[in-house]
Amino acid sequence: MTARLLALLLLLAGLAPLPARALESNVATSPRAQVSLVSESDAFQPGQPLRIGLRLRMAPGWYTYWRNPGDAGAPAEFDFQLPEGATAGPIAWPTPTRHATGPVMSYGYEGEILLPVTLTLPATLPPLSLGEPLTLQLHATWLVCERICVPEEADFTLTLPSGTPTPSAEAPLFATADANTPHTAATNTPWQAEISPEGLLSLRLPGLDATQVREAWFAPYAWGQIEHSAPQTLTTAEGGFSLALRPGTEFRHQAGLAGIVVVTDHTGRTTAMELAATPGPTAIPAATLPLWQLVAFALAAGMILNLMPCVFPVLAMKAIGLAALAGKSRGAALAQAGAYAAGVLATFLALAGTLVAMRAAGSVVGWGFQFQSPVFVAATAWLLLAIGLNMSGLYAIGGGRVATLGAGTTQRGGLLGSFLTGLLAVLVATPCTAPFMGAAIAGALAAPLAVTLLGFLAMGAGFALPYVLFAAIPGFARMLPRPGAWMDILRQALAFPMYAAAVWLLWVVSLQAGPTGVLTTASGMLLVAFALWAVGLSQSRGGSWRRLGTASALLAGLGAIAVLTTLATTPTATAAAPSNQPQPDASEPFTPRRLAELRAAGTPVFINMTAAWCVTCIVNEQVALAQPAIRQAFAAGNITYLKGDWTRRDPAITEYLRALGRDGVPLYVLYPGKAAAPVILPQILTEARLLQELARTQQGDQP
Amino acid sequence: MTLRRRHLLALPAMALPATLATPAHANPTIGALAPGFTGTDSNGAAIALAQFAGKPVILEWTNDGCPYVRKWYSSGAMQDLQRQAAAMGAIWLSVISSPPGEQGFAEGPHANELTRTRNAAPAHVLLDPDQKLARLYGAMVTPHIFIVDATGKLAYMGGADSIPSARAEDIPRATPYVRDALTALAAGQPIATQVTRPYGCVVKYRTQA
Repeated sequence: MTARLLALLLLLAGLAPLPARALESNVATSPRAQVSLVSESDAFQPGQPLRIGLRLRMAPGWYTYWRNPGDAGAPAEFDFQLPEGATAGPIAWPTPTRHATGPVMSYGYEGEILLPVTLTLPATLPPLSLGEPLTLQLHATWLVCERICVPEEADFTLTLPSGTPTPSAEAPLFATADANTPHTAATNTPWQAEISPEGLLSLRLPGLDATQVREAWFAPYAWGQIEHSAPQTLTTAEGGFSLALRPGTEFRHQAGLAGIVVVTDHTGRTTAMELAATPGPTAIPAATLPLWQLVAFALAAGMILNLMPCVFPVLAMKAIGLAALAGKSRGAALAQAGAYAAGVLATFLALAGTLVAMRAAGSVVGWGFQFQSPVFVAATAWLLLAIGLNMSGLYAIGGGRVATLGAGTTQRGGLLGSFLTGLLAVLVATPCTAPFMGAAIAGALAAPLAVTLLGFLAMGAGFALPYVLFAAIPGFARMLPRPGAWMDILRQALAFPMYAAAVWLLWVVSLQAGPTGVLTTASGMLLVAFALWAVGLSQSRGGSWRRLGTASALLAGLGAIAVLTTLATTPTATAAAPSNQPQPDASEPFTPRRLAELRAAGTPVFINMTAAWCVTCIVNEQVALAQPAIRQAFAAGNITYLKGDWTRRDPAITEYLRALGRDGVPLYVLYPGKAAAPVILPQILTEARLLQELARTQQGDQP
Repeated sequence: MTLRRRHLLALPAMALPATLATPAHANPTIGALAPGFTGTDSNGAAIALAQFAGKPVILEWTNDGCPYVRKWYSSGAMQDLQRQAAAMGAIWLSVISSPPGEQGFAEGPHANELTRTRNAAPAHVLLDPDQKLARLYGAMVTPHIFIVDATGKLAYMGGADSIPSARAEDIPRATPYVRDALTALAAGQPIATQVTRPYGCVVKYRTQA
């Protein structure tokens, strides 16, 4: 006993090897491999974990497989017969190497390998009396391949004496296996891994000198996550590196990606790490704009928004607003402009607040989200109708006199009218994003609240700026003709764009809520028109007409509100469900799964994210996408056209937009077939520009 | 303005590192037209995918020495699938892609002998010793199954069933992906599972220099 203790001390001091006892089972021998079950220690102790492992010694050229075998093959499987209460953990798979055979990629091991398993032994082993040996039985199957594959299986029996465990003769095999097993987060310094929707795996390792990373490759734990044999391009950067993987058919961005990454440094030393990459944003940086740039973008976006096709009903209101400045002093004109700007800014702030609050509450919403509600669309249609009727002269608002919207005969009524015009202009203009807006909104929403509000305020300021500048031009009011009958005629004429916009919104409702929704919305329009006629009647007549008119207006108004509540409860299911039938424009409905499939196959894809309420989107479709030359280019380039309809809420589309750093439609993305980098196309499409982009895909690789 | 916008839009494309090179093999895609081919069968006849337009076509990569293939033929399960396909008017093509000197290589007479002794029922056995067809479809293993529907589109690719073992006794316990796909096709219904993990022996690709 003393001698043994002494020997152990010597071992601990590393001075002399202990003549350790061999603990190896029967050996299953074939011309391909010698396989046995071995133990790390030479004895077992109840209540203590015990490490055992399958030892495979393969003949030259033969190999066996990792947990994910790759495109072919199968991993080893263990079936233990253990004493009651004992359990076997998972196999601690050592880092595999890669074998490529033609297009087939395999992950496996050559030569000698140990597949360790930790057994947990209960404190008491019922069938055993004290001091009795422990017998472990394992039925194992494994596949060995060279040019041919042979499944092998065997039963192993290993007996361990009871006693104080000391390292067995096979313990060094376990040490070798441990040294060759990927580090887990627990055994390594903290690092972060993210996977982008395109399959770019980014690793951040604080303190890592990435310039020393010479080579790296990734292997997933599950089949189908990536194309195993696709090249993995390494890009190093400060404190990290990335691998461009090609997503496989089972890749789901939101599920993340688990596996190992094997890194070779400049000295040729190889390290493997286990990782569970979390879903990260697209590789296209968007939300990292510096503040000044964010504000500049927002300002520019707001100004450009004035020119987007989306806002054509608003242009009518703006024209009236400008005309209303006729004959006014500069001060009065500026006051009007100020009221308009205040309306715009207040509405932008309210929208920003609502967006932030809805997102905080977990809603998946994006820019223009309010138009995804048929109730909002119907209410906006009624509002436009009401404004149109006001312009047509059916009734007056603002002080109850003849003050029609924007006419501004009295200072007070005029200012309120201008404020309301600003409010309405923003509400109606928001369905679309303009150039710069995508980046600005996404950046603003990703930033702290104060920056978010600042971004939206800047956008509002940009939106109001042209109007304010006009008003501020000295003598601008004097350049307009003197107030007179022309103003009434202009106002009446401009009522028609309002009616046109109401018709368009009615069409949007038809797509969102079907025929029932159209009936409800049109009935509401009827009630609104009746109520306003009654208001006009009470305004223009005295006495009992006045009371009758007011009462009728009130009744009709209540009726309209009641109608709106029925629309709110109209199930959107009555709307046509997106069908998988080929669409007349040869597009397929967008689903993330379909995109992943096509990307995995390297098929070029054109993505069109659109909505019925987005006029810019519809203009683009008519001007560019529907042109025969574009259809031909799609067919010639074997480009699959995926169309995502955001008319109704669709979390999958919102998520996709956000992944690309956008928050609204339109969005056009071209995935060239063989290059991984998607190209985001302009929000104003022209046939020529689109053809040019499509031609680039056909040329194949990137310039 | 136009220039500035283009410049801005060019940024995202540049921000990504230059990435993947051309893959070494084609990837067939579910729902897309299956790659067309003309091959030679075990009787020396030219067989083109196009000649079966209007009928479903099943491609089965095979290698009679592979234990996973043996699992399917010793149990009679692969022959059953072949007869199920024939009964619904589908064309079953067994493909042998092993080159000379490798396991599974067969010339015409031997391939026909295998069909006879195994009581198999493919419409044709295609001989692909230079692996052109295997590369065209990205065949990874034997058995690896591809189903082309009557309109010429790829409708299924993957394993013969769900349990990746070489044990015949696992077949009754597994989800029979190919049988289910054929049943759905015959009934004119969508195929529930269209892509599965293929399992088996590596197709004997000749190592390229």
